[in-house]
Amino acid sequence: MPLPVELDCFAALGLPRKLTIDLPALEERYHELGKKIHPDRFASSPPRIRSASLSGAALLTRSYRTLRDPVSRGLYWLELNGEKLAENNKQVPAELAETVFEVQEQLAEMRGAGAGDEALRRAVEKRRIELGLAMDELRERLARNFARWDRSDGSDRAELIAELKSTLSKIAYMRTLIRDVDRELDSPRMA
Amino acid sequence: MEGDKARVIADPDTHDALLPSVVAIAPDGRVYVGKEAIALEPRLSREEQGRVSAVGFPGGEAGAVIRSVKRYMGLGGDEVAEQERRRYAFADVSGPVVRFKIGKRVYTAPQISAEILRALKLRAEKALGEKVERVVITVPAYFNDGQRQATKDAGRLAGLEVVRLVNEPTAASLAYGLNQLAEGKVAVYDLGGGTFDISILNIKGGVFEVLATNGDTHLGGDDIDQALVDWLLEGTAETLKADRHVWNSARHVAEEAKKRLSAVEETELVLELPGGVVRKTLSRAELERLAEPLVNRTLERCAMALRDAGLARGGVEAVVLVGGATRMPLVRRRVAELFGREPLCSLDPDHVVALGAAVQAGVLMGTQRDMLLLDVVPLSLGIETVGGVMERLIHRNTTIPTSVTEKFTTAVDNQTHVDIHVLQGEREMAKDCRSLARFKLGPLAPSPAGFPRIAVTFLIDANGILNVSARDERTGREHSVDVKPSYGLTDEEIERMLEEAIDLGEMDVEERLLIVARNDAHQILSALAKQLGEWGHLASAEERAAFEQASARLEAASQGTDRELISRLVEELNEMTTPFAERIMDAAIKQALEKKSIEELS
Repeated sequence: MPLPVELDCFAALGLPRKLTIDLPALEERYHELGKKIHPDRFASSPPRIRSASLSGAALLTRSYRTLRDPVSRGLYWLELNGEKLAENNKQVPAELAETVFEVQEQLAEMRGAGAGDEALRRAVEKRRIELGLAMDELRERLARNFARWDRSDGSDRAELIAELKSTLSKIAYMRTLIRDVDRELDSPRMA
Repeated sequence: MEGDKARVIADPDTHDALLPSVVAIAPDGRVYVGKEAIALEPRLSREEQGRVSAVGFPGGEAGAVIRSVKRYMGLGGDEVAEQERRRYAFADVSGPVVRFKIGKRVYTAPQISAEILRALKLRAEKALGEKVERVVITVPAYFNDGQRQATKDAGRLAGLEVVRLVNEPTAASLAYGLNQLAEGKVAVYDLGGGTFDISILNIKGGVFEVLATNGDTHLGGDDIDQALVDWLLEGTAETLKADRHVWNSARHVAEEAKKRLSAVEETELVLELPGGVVRKTLSRAELERLAEPLVNRTLERCAMALRDAGLARGGVEAVVLVGGATRMPLVRRRVAELFGREPLCSLDPDHVVALGAAVQAGVLMGTQRDMLLLDVVPLSLGIETVGGVMERLIHRNTTIPTSVTEKFTTAVDNQTHVDIHVLQGEREMAKDCRSLARFKLGPLAPSPAGFPRIAVTFLIDANGILNVSARDERTGREHSVDVKPSYGLTDEEIERMLEEAIDLGEMDVEERLLIVARNDAHQILSALAKQLGEWGHLASAEERAAFEQASARLEAASQGTDRELISRLVEELNEMTTPFAERIMDAAIKQALEKKSIEELS
């Protein structure tokens, strides 16, 4: 696969370009490398060394944060493959359209009714649980896509890219939705 | 640090461990710090009685007593609250820096802060019997870039090299350390006199990793005092309320009453006024009613930090209390309620941050090899884009150091400069965020619109301070970036202040510069010796011989008094060892990367 040769996020952490990553091991690796190249270790060194350590540590941190979260890892993978989520990622994926509409309705209703409406609140809380489950499902779908990439010989690349894009875009929508619901449930209730 | 135990240094004469952050500047320009300054407060004010304008602050013309200068660090002249204008006189109220007007002189916050640092430096030198030149300074975690920069400036003005700024709650977690904190998630709640911070950390295998931080740099115990003052002065004439003398006496009475109420249920407040005496009884319940809104504000910040850390309320395994204001039973109770566990407070809340700073100094000096502190940037950083929108480049709670590179180009043909406006804050629009700096890229060679490719790297260092560099992607050349901070002092101003300080100081310029040169020599010689010990195999025999010769020359020169010779030899040695130094860095990174076999993680 034609990928840039410069030190990328995987290389910075000394990892092969595999999408399935064991998170506890990744964290351990990050801490271990951090202890070696963090600027704290070079506080008495000449300026050149200090600045090399500074940019090294910044690269390490950026790489760790990119790979730690499966969604940003997926987005980064698209980037490595010269792809990205469509700029006009405005259109709600068809699969989610109905849910998005219903949730927005419910939230608007809740805002209108004030905080006293217990039944409405319970309905939104139930909805929140459903959304959480749907998100878990999408994350599993992402993990399956990652595993397929790791096994792939390159022949199904186009299909994998399309699947990755569609999953990531649904996750992006689901995140916004969950955030909106949480915000509403969190907002202080008038007594 | 003594071994791996930190100890707070007390003044050898007075045995005081704390130095109150109070600075008095007398009419003749003499400066008093700490208890001396507090002692002067009533005297300065008595001289002024009769004139309405001042306590501890004769008339705004003679002298002043300044408390909690930290609150003014990094602020612009126009960012001082109305209430604070009642306490002090300011000059240049629209300028990029707060300037206190004291008599005929004008002082910035870093200059006043430098007086405190200087007093601490002297105390430490007296106690240790040796020079103190390099320091770790703690700052509120929620300090923005400008406030951090101002703190570094203060260090420089006090003749200190600021090796690192450490966030106060993080320092506290280091002080409790691995002996008293089990591995896991820890919340540090830090309510000081003027500022509030909450940090959530994950501690694992010697790594103290901050997950999220939040706070308010203008919320603290002082605000509770203020609420008490308002209560105390209820029903007094407006002219008296506006009087600085009355205000200061009332604040003193209020603060003492607040402290007493941490132990007793009820206390009497007595305030002498020009027209008579105010006597009021205050119960703890009443104090708590007054303090409640402020405590609630801190709890909201805690909830935000928990959310950013991705944790539920019961998700932390320990809660640590820091700062004098956490002595209030109300604070302890409410914090325990929020996090669902009893807070730890076995270390003195007034010492714990200093102890943690010492531990971090140990890390920086290489004596605490197994520990590592990974802190975060408290506020998002971005740039202004089309339509005045803030585009976020680095999100709040990103681990530092961190960097991001953005590409810029021109919009019209033959454009010679690209203007960039850097912002810090969480709001959507640039005008609602705090302006951090502006800079121009260029001059650019004439070319069609969109042709230039300039990569600008925004790097936030381990102190949480922004550094900007730019590179022309077509030519590979580094661009100079002349960053103009929106607030704060310029380098020239600091230089001038340093010169003034030297003029006034006990030491002459030459002598001071000689000391600086000798320090540089000492630093490079010891760094080189250490590197040759550890990485000697990376230097050839010829190089070694050359290094040794140059070192010996520098060693000899630094015994003498020829400052210029010392500086030249330092520069020479620095240049000569650069390739060797680069090899070490490469090897260190490579070694780190190769340590584990790749298969292990795949």
